[in-house]
Amino acid sequence: MDYINLALKAIFVENILLAFFLGMCSYLSQSKKVESATGLGFAVVFVLTLSCPMNWAIKEFLLNKGALASWTKIAALQSVDLSFLSFICYIAVIAALVQLVEMVIDRFFPALYTTLGIFLPLITVNCSILGASLFMHERSYDLTHTIVFGFSSGLGWFLAIVALAAIRKKIRYSNIPEGMRGLGMAFTVTGLMAIGFLGFSGIDLDKEPAPKAAPVAEIEADVVAEAVDLEEDA
Amino acid sequence: MKFMLDMHDKVRHHFEKGGKFEKFWPLFDAQDTFMFTPATTTSSGPHVRDALDLKRVMITVVFALFPAILFGIWNAGHQHNLATDGAAQGIMPDILMGLRYVVPVIIVSYAVGGIWEVLFCIVRKHEINEGFLVTGMLFPLTLPPTIPLWQVAVGISFGVVIGKEIFGGTGMNVLNPALTARAFIFFAYPSQMSGDAVWVAMSGDAVQGFSGATALAIAAIAEPGVPLTNALTDAGLTFKNMFLGTIPGSIGETSTLACLIGAAILILTRIGSWQIMAGMVIGTLATAGLAGAMGTSVFAQLPPQYHLVMGGFAFGCVFMATDPVSSAATGIGKWIYGVLIGMLVVIIRLANPAYPEGVMLSILFMNVMAPMIDHYVLQAHIRKRKARYA
Repeated sequence: MDYINLALKAIFVENILLAFFLGMCSYLSQSKKVESATGLGFAVVFVLTLSCPMNWAIKEFLLNKGALASWTKIAALQSVDLSFLSFICYIAVIAALVQLVEMVIDRFFPALYTTLGIFLPLITVNCSILGASLFMHERSYDLTHTIVFGFSSGLGWFLAIVALAAIRKKIRYSNIPEGMRGLGMAFTVTGLMAIGFLGFSGIDLDKEPAPKAAPVAEIEADVVAEAVDLEEDA
Repeated sequence: MKFMLDMHDKVRHHFEKGGKFEKFWPLFDAQDTFMFTPATTTSSGPHVRDALDLKRVMITVVFALFPAILFGIWNAGHQHNLATDGAAQGIMPDILMGLRYVVPVIIVSYAVGGIWEVLFCIVRKHEINEGFLVTGMLFPLTLPPTIPLWQVAVGISFGVVIGKEIFGGTGMNVLNPALTARAFIFFAYPSQMSGDAVWVAMSGDAVQGFSGATALAIAAIAEPGVPLTNALTDAGLTFKNMFLGTIPGSIGETSTLACLIGAAILILTRIGSWQIMAGMVIGTLATAGLAGAMGTSVFAQLPPQYHLVMGGFAFGCVFMATDPVSSAATGIGKWIYGVLIGMLVVIIRLANPAYPEGVMLSILFMNVMAPMIDHYVLQAHIRKRKARYA
């Protein structure tokens, strides 16, 4: 029951995209077609499901204070605390994983590979992936919780991007005011979708304390930086 | 009427292309087609001969809303008189008092929303139609009679502009505009709109109008041990009262009976989808039954049929969920859409302490998901046909 609660929470209550607004860039750019949205959604689910537990293992066995000593049995390592390396390590793991996913998709789904284009390698810097790892870190999940959390965060992201893609398909021929077409409309629809998801906010499934404010603020800074990048690209 | 028609025909050329008031053609057109059958005919094919067009669809929904409106007016006054004098005062004083509270809300909703609608129609050159009459009426009916009028104005502005007009106007929106408006003020002014306190129209200060808890709030905080039906009856909320709607609450939402009359009109004229309504009822009953069998809380033990008369269920089910624009459009999709709304209603009511009222939010959520449902239903259909003719 605990795991189901955690999953439901990650998918609906604290949807990583619509509640935390993580992973916006690929979400906005790859939601023009339902097919590519589905493909990218699967890729994100896959990467999240693998990257979260791997980062968990790195945190538990390498980075935490005394983690090295716990399995090497070297007393001198007892005081070593490498947790300041966590960001770099998490990113490195994610980057390596994305390479793997890229090769797999290139080999088995070439059409999808072409559609996703640059956004597949860009999953590396998709904030929802790193965000999930940091939430895992922040909330001190154990291994099973981490796997469930990673998978269902991905599922929440998948749900959001496919829903947006379907909505964009529906409004493709709508007579939208000129200034609102394209990204403007996508942003507005995302906001309205977030209102739709707000109905679940406040559901207290596992009585877990809310995440502390600091890392979220950092992540938000990332989002802003990324948005600026996106603008510069455009 | 002949006089009006003559006058229209006389000034028509001013509004037509090249005329003095060419810019205001949408206004003239709206006035003209609201009152008379337009003389224009379609010049090229394809033709569909049908008495039912968008305008008639929308006006039928407004007619279907009338029982809820009239009952809401009476009930607002009835509850006011009960709360201030402690005794019922008879039907006429009740109605007069109700008019005092309900009419300003409706007028503000129509006036402010109407201004936006007209503004967009003139600037963007599309026609004004009765669709707005539905939105502008649905929205006030979901509000408490004591709501400050500026909130009505803010809500309907958001609903009409962000919920509908920026999508390109009637028929293009993704979310139901009335629901968008309602959800917006619900989240923007939670202290006044939280939905767990009763809205009784008291004289004088409008905001301080409530004096008790709604059925849903009683259910959410019910003490274990005592069956919830008893607690509700103690508060004067029997099944019969909640079905008839003689309880405090939002203007148009209290009476299940009035909504059922509206449902009959919508289903008979085939404007509202009976699949969605049926799906929603089935989903609610099944989930509530399941929760009763498995759940331990007092609220979960509530007999399933109570969920159908509590809060805004009937109103949402009949008028909000069946909105043909924002609901699922495919046959199977409608069933999925309805059943999922029903399930979500019970889940939000039982599990979410923050929002005792789940109907509005679950419909809004499924509005978001409806295009996705349609997409997958269509894909499945295409695959099936491909397999059949392969």
